[in-house]
Amino acid sequence: MRIVIDRLEEWLMAALLAFMTVLTFVQVVMRYVFNTGWLWSLEATTYSFAALVLIGMSYGVRTRTHIATDLFTRKLSEPLQRKVAILAILACLVYAALMLYGSVVLVDRLMTLGNDARDIPAPKWLLTITMPLGFVLLGYRLLEVGWQLFRHGTGGLASGQQHAPAVDEKSDHQGDNP
Amino acid sequence: MTAAFLLTALFVLLFVGVPVAVSLGLASVLTMLLFGDQTLLSSSQKFFHTMQVYPLLAVPFFILAGTFMTTGGVARRMVAFANALVGHFRGGLAMAALLASAFFAAVSGSAPATVVAVGSVMIVGMVASGYTRNFAAGVICNAGTLGILIPPSLVMVVYGAITESSIGRLFIAGILPGIILTVVMMITVTVIARKQDMPRQERASFKVVVKTFREALWGLMLVVIILGGIYAGIFTPTEAAAVSAVYAFFIAVFVYRDISMPDVPKVLVEASKITVMLMFIIANAFMFAFLLTTEQIPQMASELIVGMGLPVWGFLLVLNVLLLITGNFMEPTSVVLILTPIVFPIAMEMGIDPTHLGVLMIVNMQIGLVTPPVGLNLFVTASVAKLSLEETIKASFPWLLVLLGVLVLITYVPWISLVVPNLLLD
Repeated sequence: MRIVIDRLEEWLMAALLAFMTVLTFVQVVMRYVFNTGWLWSLEATTYSFAALVLIGMSYGVRTRTHIATDLFTRKLSEPLQRKVAILAILACLVYAALMLYGSVVLVDRLMTLGNDARDIPAPKWLLTITMPLGFVLLGYRLLEVGWQLFRHGTGGLASGQQHAPAVDEKSDHQGDNP
Repeated sequence: MTAAFLLTALFVLLFVGVPVAVSLGLASVLTMLLFGDQTLLSSSQKFFHTMQVYPLLAVPFFILAGTFMTTGGVARRMVAFANALVGHFRGGLAMAALLASAFFAAVSGSAPATVVAVGSVMIVGMVASGYTRNFAAGVICNAGTLGILIPPSLVMVVYGAITESSIGRLFIAGILPGIILTVVMMITVTVIARKQDMPRQERASFKVVVKTFREALWGLMLVVIILGGIYAGIFTPTEAAAVSAVYAFFIAVFVYRDISMPDVPKVLVEASKITVMLMFIIANAFMFAFLLTTEQIPQMASELIVGMGLPVWGFLLVLNVLLLITGNFMEPTSVVLILTPIVFPIAMEMGIDPTHLGVLMIVNMQIGLVTPPVGLNLFVTASVAKLSLEETIKASFPWLLVLLGVLVLITYVPWISLVVPNLLLD
């Protein structure tokens, strides 16, 4: 089950990115070659983009790709380091909770207004629901990482340092982190 | 008071190891709740809205293009072409490494990616031909910073999006400084090579030059498509980025055949990962910038600075020092995202050209990439060259002078950054 969910995240992110890219490319070709285009294309791209980022936030916690600095924590003693790391996770949880509250209010507001998106024939709240969902997932992954750190003292947030997070030995698909 | 709380909260969070993205977001949201009159609703809206900022759509597309290019043997072909061009000079392989980095920077928007791509091909070759490992690492580490100066550049996209200035213009503005920096570094190599009597290769025959050029051309066409398209007004930078991504896929899978079709999803996942990491920072930075604006913090800073009667050259000097220090502790995108909203209005007040300011910030970030404690290029080079971090820092250090020299030039001669865009676009 876990493996399925983990794979699903990756599959979804890859699909969204491919969809956005192909759609924008096709739009360019249609406009300059055939002089037509789909009205909904841009909106579909931006909502996919939002979904990609929002789903990806929690994936980033799991794969430790978020950049953090360990310049100062690195110098602390090990038990103290662990306490600070748990503190950092708590800060992230506060963040996730506040953002979740804000996005629930946003979706609720959009439901009350009941507007459709500009070009896509779908209600706006439905397209925005990826945001509360994203922050719930973020909170869940943070709790998971925090619990593991608390119980077993392993893992932690982020890559732990600003060491090129995208560069890992086992794959050639090296990062593009500027 | 508001500004003090915001900045204190931001730095405390950063120091205890909270990810940069969350530090920016949490500091902004807390400040807003305590001092501002905005609500959590408006920050969530701002966050979501970031993904609908049209220029920022270029970010995922350029990253995808870069990932296809980095994975494939594009770098290898560029190295072969560069070597055929300049390999016969004394210190030829080192010059080829510089040139190949410049070529690769023109298909990738990232500095560490350039180091990985060129370094993993070049360092072994240089060591085998009698260069010291440290010298090779120093060259690759610094040449790799061209990745964010020569278009396309992700840092430029971010700067353009947050200041609402033209990304196409910035791209074109990066060309001449990129060429100047490459030439200055090549001259430096020549001088060192003469002194240390470094090896040279046999001169490549014309046939080899043509053959390697034709192989590298497929990759190099990418920058031609991007710049040509933007220059001719066919594409927006976002569209150019999407076209590059599809083009890079096509080249890697069907022309060079370095990536097989079943590997494509892996490339997509990798590119998504980097996209999310960057966009998560950017979306939170947009909340941060939004808060700064609603609390009128840049205006206050601007009044303060302008009121001090600092001349433009003095302001630029202070700005460079600020950027260099910050660049030492954070990676380029974060620095640009945090400082631009504060610095930009002041610079505009002082009559500095937005494009010039962008190029200046980027050259500063290049230096940040090769200076400890947080220089991404140093970490990447150390792992590619199989040197310790300390050795890499030492090897890279002499090149810092070259970069600083070019920084002074870029800072005080705005003409370098502005002549090409003025010529082509106005």
